Amino acid sequence: MSVVATQSNLTRTDERSFPLSRFIPWGERIVGYGLLLFAAFATMAPFLWMVSTSFKADAEVFQFPPSFIPQGLEWQNYLDVIYLPDSGRQLVNSLVFALGSTISNLIFCSLAGYALARMQFRGKTIVFALVVGLLMVPAQSQIVPVFLIVQKIPFAGGNDWLGNGGTGLLNTYWGMILPTAATPFGIFLMRQFFTRIPSEYEESARLDGAKSFTIFWRILLPLARPAMAVLGVLSFQSAWNEFIWPLILTNSRDMATLQIGLQLLQSGPDARWNVVMAMATLITVPIIIVFLFAQRLVIDGAVTSGVKG
Amino acid sequence: MPSRSATAGPFNRSWGAYAFLAPALLILFLSLLLPAIATIGMSFTDISFLRPTNWVGLDNYFRLMADGRFQQAIGNTMYYTLGVTFPTMALGLLAAVALNRKFPFRIVFRTIFYLPVLTSLIAAAVVWVYLYEPYSGPVNGLFVSLGLGPQPWLSSPNLAMTALIIMAVWRDFGTAMIIYLAGLQDIPEEIYEAARLDGASKFSILWRITVPMLGSVTFYLMIILIVQSFQVFGAIYVMTGGGPLGSTETIVFQMYQTAFGYTEFGYSAAMSTVLFFVILLFSLVGTKIMRRGEG
Repeated sequence: MSVVATQSNLTRTDERSFPLSRFIPWGERIVGYGLLLFAAFATMAPFLWMVSTSFKADAEVFQFPPSFIPQGLEWQNYLDVIYLPDSGRQLVNSLVFALGSTISNLIFCSLAGYALARMQFRGKTIVFALVVGLLMVPAQSQIVPVFLIVQKIPFAGGNDWLGNGGTGLLNTYWGMILPTAATPFGIFLMRQFFTRIPSEYEESARLDGAKSFTIFWRILLPLARPAMAVLGVLSFQSAWNEFIWPLILTNSRDMATLQIGLQLLQSGPDARWNVVMAMATLITVPIIIVFLFAQRLVIDGAVTSGVKG
Repeated sequence: MPSRSATAGPFNRSWGAYAFLAPALLILFLSLLLPAIATIGMSFTDISFLRPTNWVGLDNYFRLMADGRFQQAIGNTMYYTLGVTFPTMALGLLAAVALNRKFPFRIVFRTIFYLPVLTSLIAAAVVWVYLYEPYSGPVNGLFVSLGLGPQPWLSSPNLAMTALIIMAVWRDFGTAMIIYLAGLQDIPEEIYEAARLDGASKFSILWRITVPMLGSVTFYLMIILIVQSFQVFGAIYVMTGGGPLGSTETIVFQMYQTAFGYTEFGYSAAMSTVLFFVILLFSLVGTKIMRRGEG
């Protein structure tokens, strides 16, 4: 369906050359390149300033107007970030949260997507309509009830069976991961993919007497590697960049993620711009590297979902 | 082809499928469905966890209608949404049209334009706070070197929202570009050939062919951007805290403050319900358009 269409279209972009380009005169080409270079530079400028300031010494940060090229390379700023009392902890929290969210999305969305694509059961139409309907629920407007639900999970964090008395899953990894552990988009993506796999694969296995789960695990999941890669990269990216759930669902310093840590560092009383920029650089670089390696996957996924991670 | 029910009864098959679906559906229930229902329910109460909860009927909604701060937040949200949506689409379309032909370094340009989308919102926001810094920031540095006076940007009630909009457009136009690039691939090359043979100028090809042919993509993109901008929170939280003088307070920011700052969860839920239905309306329209485009 739409996923198939957009993916094949994107492939075509790279291979199909527009005959138009052969007739573009030289002058126009130079103007075109000039405009593109200007736009590219303007887009990159905030990143370049971020890196430039991250290498400046304290005194140089307050020069006005600021210089684009730093006078020296002040690696100390990066060491200051690394030796901040909470930064190691924040890195661990971010990794646990991002990986936990990615793994749970891969497992739960592929299971549900497989059932919706390949299995016959009563209520299938309703379940699929529900998933599509939930695609439209704005997550950010649900901060209050999600907070309460995470707090009221029975038997967790000192809660009784009715979910009262304790803090539930607040301030835990489980609580942070829960609102992002499976998404309607992920289920939809996997369902679309499984729908396209020819049914002969599972028919023969079924005739050999294989169980549903065996067919899923041994035959369909290995075939779904490309879709799993898209889902994995997008889930990791969105959890690594997530701000609102860690902000609301945790309040202890021990549970802060890198994003919260960066916000705290920047708004803190003795914030130094060069150190803040060093931390921003350290947070941004891993995601850019992941993107450069998985560019096709991220862009195909973004086209499919229509929303950024 | 052998029938599917040859090996197991439909009843059996159903239970297997429910087992596959259960974990994901439980999570969706807890993180989306139940919250959506709970928000609506809570909006009819004065729940605050500090005192016993009372059913207050439509009181929260009457209060919202008379609440000047909430009206300001709606106004701010609208202004922000319009300010982000249209420039983002225009820049995205320009970038897509420019990159929709084969030339050296095409992928490099596409990657650069897409980078801001990938950056975490908080890292981007922090960097832009620095760029807008009144006394040592690069934006004022540029202004001064161009002979313009330095501006207070984020600390001016007149400029703060504009400053936030500029940053959001920078961050979002890559998304618009990618979606437009996919849309451009669906326009048959023959139409362009015909127009060129008729001697149509570049501008009229863009305006008379490309833009109309991208109609459904444009509409879909517009809905996405509107829905996303309506929910703006992180950037406001980091960059202005709703100030100065409430000039950047948006609906979600006020919801957050009302709930977690003033512990008025019921009142916050009423705000959330209003936002929820507005966004749902836009999403439904968007989905309808998307379906039509697919068919």
